[in-house]
Amino acid sequence: MTVATLPRPLDPTRLALAAAGPIAVGAVLALRAGDVSPLAATPAIVFGIAAATCPALYIAIAATKHGPSLAEVARALAASFGAFGIALAGLVLPALFISVSSTANLTTAVVCSVVLGGAAMIAMVRLATELAPKSFGGVVVCIVWAIATLGIAGRLWLDLAAEVLL
Amino acid sequence: MIGAIETPKLSLGTIDLLLRDRDRMLIKIRTGNVTEILRTMTVTIMVAMAIVGAALGSYRGGEQIFYAAIKLPLVLLGTAALSAPALTAIGTALGRRSRLAVDLALVMSALAFGALIVVAFTPLIMLGRTLDASYHEMILGTVAVFAIGGLAALGMIIRAMSIEAGRGWRTAVATMCLVFVMVGGQLSWALRPYLVRPKAQEVVFVREVEGSLFDAVVGAVRSARGIYHRDHAPVPDEVSP
Repeated sequence: MTVATLPRPLDPTRLALAAAGPIAVGAVLALRAGDVSPLAATPAIVFGIAAATCPALYIAIAATKHGPSLAEVARALAASFGAFGIALAGLVLPALFISVSSTANLTTAVVCSVVLGGAAMIAMVRLATELAPKSFGGVVVCIVWAIATLGIAGRLWLDLAAEVLL
Repeated sequence: MIGAIETPKLSLGTIDLLLRDRDRMLIKIRTGNVTEILRTMTVTIMVAMAIVGAALGSYRGGEQIFYAAIKLPLVLLGTAALSAPALTAIGTALGRRSRLAVDLALVMSALAFGALIVVAFTPLIMLGRTLDASYHEMILGTVAVFAIGGLAALGMIIRAMSIEAGRGWRTAVATMCLVFVMVGGQLSWALRPYLVRPKAQEVVFVREVEGSLFDAVVGAVRSARGIYHRDHAPVPDEVSP
């Protein structure tokens, strides 16, 4: 591996934002619901699902032709998490504004869902860019993993939002 | 001469560049004095939207002229303040270099362009008032004018992102459009009314906080399907001004 192909160092600020972002979205939900449980439940969903599904991504993509190394997958996942945090940092303020300027719980639920979903989609795009799978099998693995991860997290999030708001 | 156009010393030169040659305006945003651009665009938005607000308020007259002239600039400036950080964050998340000041200048310039387009329609708003157009005709006309201005502003942002063609620019544009529409729509909804019926007895600066624009759209769709949440339509005594 040449110096030019070495992965970029991780940015601690982005990872900190990735940690704080779900808490901030949970805070918007908690503010509307008058219930503090989303403060812990939202990051638990994000990081719990990520921890549960990321090993599967590595195993599956390593088994494909020209699969990336463990270090490359780890770097790609870290970059993806960083993108998730940065995107959330930019979207939380508009979400908070829309939530507090409305009296309807449904608005808060929809806006928080859109913000989390949008940030997750951006993170997936970044992950695909970083991994840049070189085989058809690698592309299929990435797509299936993204659908499974977003599907599980989305279902848990919607259950949480419905329980505290609707 | 070309140099004089590329580096205008006066704010009016920047506005002229924005109207005549937006590709060069985009180059100026990336390479020029961002502070001067931001100052010029803030003043442009405030003046243009105050004129449009006053024109809309004149349909009812009285204090509504001042209310609308104050509120409309706030809608655009608030939209810029809430949307520009989102554009920066999304771009950075997708691998672009972080540059909040340039993104803010881009969003402000796009909104200023939209505001200038809208203010160009002010004579038509005044014509509608002069010809005693009905309230609903005025509403439809106003929505059409702001839709044209909004599309012009979005078009400038899309153009800027496509020229740059950074990583994931299409995703950034799509997300930015969503944020723009949601924030701008909700902020304008929260600060309404701008256009008030001429026979309205009283006018308020802003209405009480109630359901969002999203709720109103959902309610309208339900009503269109014959699903109502009230026993009868509001009688005249119940209708708010």
